Amino acid sequence: MTRHTRIVMSVVYWAFVIYLFVPLALMVTMGFKDSKFIGFPIRAWTFDWYATVMQDTQVLAVFGYSMAIAVSTTVLSLIIGTWMATFLGPNMFRGKAIVFALACLPAVIPGIISAIALRIFARLIDIEPGMLAIILGHTVHNVPFVALVVMARLSTQPKSHIEAARDLGADSIVAFFRVTLPYLKPALIGAGIFCMLLSFDDFVRAFFLGGYQPTLPVLIFAKLRSGMSPEINAISTIVLIMTAILGLWAERSMRRLNKGS
Amino acid sequence: MTGETDTIVHIDNVTKRFGSVVAVDRLDMRIMAGEFVTFLGPSGCGKSTTLRMLGGFETPDEGRIVLDGVDVTRKPPNRRDVNMVFQDYALFPHMTVGQNIAFGLELKGEPRDEIDRRMGELLDFLQLSGFRDRSPDQLSGGQRQRVALARALAPDPKLLLLDEPLGALDAKLRGQVQIELKDIQKRTGKTFFFVTHDQEEALTMSDRVVVMNAGRVEQAGTPEDLYFRPESRFVAEFIGETNLIEGTVRGIDKDTIAIDWNGTDVRGVAHGHQPCEGDTVTASLRLENVMCHPRKPARMNAIEGRIVSKLFKGSRTSLDIRIGGHQNTVIHAYMDAGNAAQVADDRLWISWEPERLTVLRD
Repeated sequence: MTRHTRIVMSVVYWAFVIYLFVPLALMVTMGFKDSKFIGFPIRAWTFDWYATVMQDTQVLAVFGYSMAIAVSTTVLSLIIGTWMATFLGPNMFRGKAIVFALACLPAVIPGIISAIALRIFARLIDIEPGMLAIILGHTVHNVPFVALVVMARLSTQPKSHIEAARDLGADSIVAFFRVTLPYLKPALIGAGIFCMLLSFDDFVRAFFLGGYQPTLPVLIFAKLRSGMSPEINAISTIVLIMTAILGLWAERSMRRLNKGS
Repeated sequence: MTGETDTIVHIDNVTKRFGSVVAVDRLDMRIMAGEFVTFLGPSGCGKSTTLRMLGGFETPDEGRIVLDGVDVTRKPPNRRDVNMVFQDYALFPHMTVGQNIAFGLELKGEPRDEIDRRMGELLDFLQLSGFRDRSPDQLSGGQRQRVALARALAPDPKLLLLDEPLGALDAKLRGQVQIELKDIQKRTGKTFFFVTHDQEEALTMSDRVVVMNAGRVEQAGTPEDLYFRPESRFVAEFIGETNLIEGTVRGIDKDTIAIDWNGTDVRGVAHGHQPCEGDTVTASLRLENVMCHPRKPARMNAIEGRIVSKLFKGSRTSLDIRIGGHQNTVIHAYMDAGNAAQVADDRLWISWEPERLTVLRD
């Protein structure tokens, strides 16, 4: 690489970083502005908006609701995804590629299409719009990610590990729980956090499948319609910090996973 | 009682096919309690398939496997008193050395204090005392191998299977571990079923070696039997280095077989079979059994030759000798460095004891 291209590359890189972070920085900054209106100049600073959020029972309830959906979705997705990976991974059967493609489809179908389809389907089988419908919708979307990550990890496990467990007296179920599952741990942590973030962040499916109770993104959307307020900035900043921490932790476990063992 | 009671494993006429390939072909073999038996052969000969059938990882298509009087042919690995040391050791990476060793005992439902007692014993026995709380990836290859051995011995199996467990070790360590393994086998009195493609390992450690080729047993016997009294060309060539001599059987008397080797009359013996007069046969003569003389010796099998190459290899000298009157026939021989000096001239005489020339089954 010549010196010239190196300079161009680094300029492009930093331009991208600025483009990525300036809006976030603005959003965070406005959450500390002591005024109802968003925009410069900022004359006074305050933590009041955070206090407002902490006392806003609706926001807190919605936060809990979104968390409950994210956790349930994650648990369900991990169980189904792991089961699918252990089933699809080692077994060879006719049409395996087709089964696998079908299983992965929900991950790539546009959210809006899948949301409408799920809405119609939920009504058809008499599932009320609400928590259960959202959890099912999110799970369908998340399972392929879990399955892919777990399959990747599973393919690195030496066959002899399971054979050794069987040899030492474990039936196939005990061998799975005592040897395979611990081996999958980094993959499950990574995939689990990814599921939580996907679910917590989702607007489209939650909007179409939800009942009267909004999830956090749906609530923020509703609040925006009645006008921008620094309270929204405060909520967003809290969410940003939490998801960033979770995301980085997930990224770390995934990296450990790729290094093996 | 004799015979029956000493048999710990009976591989009863077992056949295993993979698709159209016959991996193991009507194998019938008894393994005695306390024996160190090695299945030796090139890859694909069926030795590993046999081991996996004993472990319960493959099911025979025909025949039975009887372990200590009980038919275990169709029992899964977790329901037979057989444990295995895997080629890659297969230690559980998320468990400590101690947890790895305890695994089999826990699944047997042993009480905690019994598990601890047995583990302490094994750690001591295999010189792993300081390593109980280490993770397997903090150990060297040799240590990992001993942990795998301890883990397999812990549930007190009737038969221990070892699947090329020295393959992953470097050459220097391998020799040392061979001695250790043999010693451990003697001290525990366990029956070891060892699988390898390395003839040196097989010869050093085993009470009995079974040479397999293409799914069938070529020859089974003590290491000395196989080395000095091979029955087939495959065994003669697979184990050690040898000279192969082709000729026609001219006559048979009670001790020796007379062979016409391109016009030269040589004498040999046969083991496990009897050739007929007029048969074209191959015979094996080990390099170290060729004797060299400066003058014609007064004995059988004396043949004149000319040295075509002489390589000094420290403790011994390797000679290539062209035999007079035979086009392109070269006999390879080893000599002590001292004796080699005596044969200063290019011309010399070679000879061998008749029982050292083994006529092979074709």
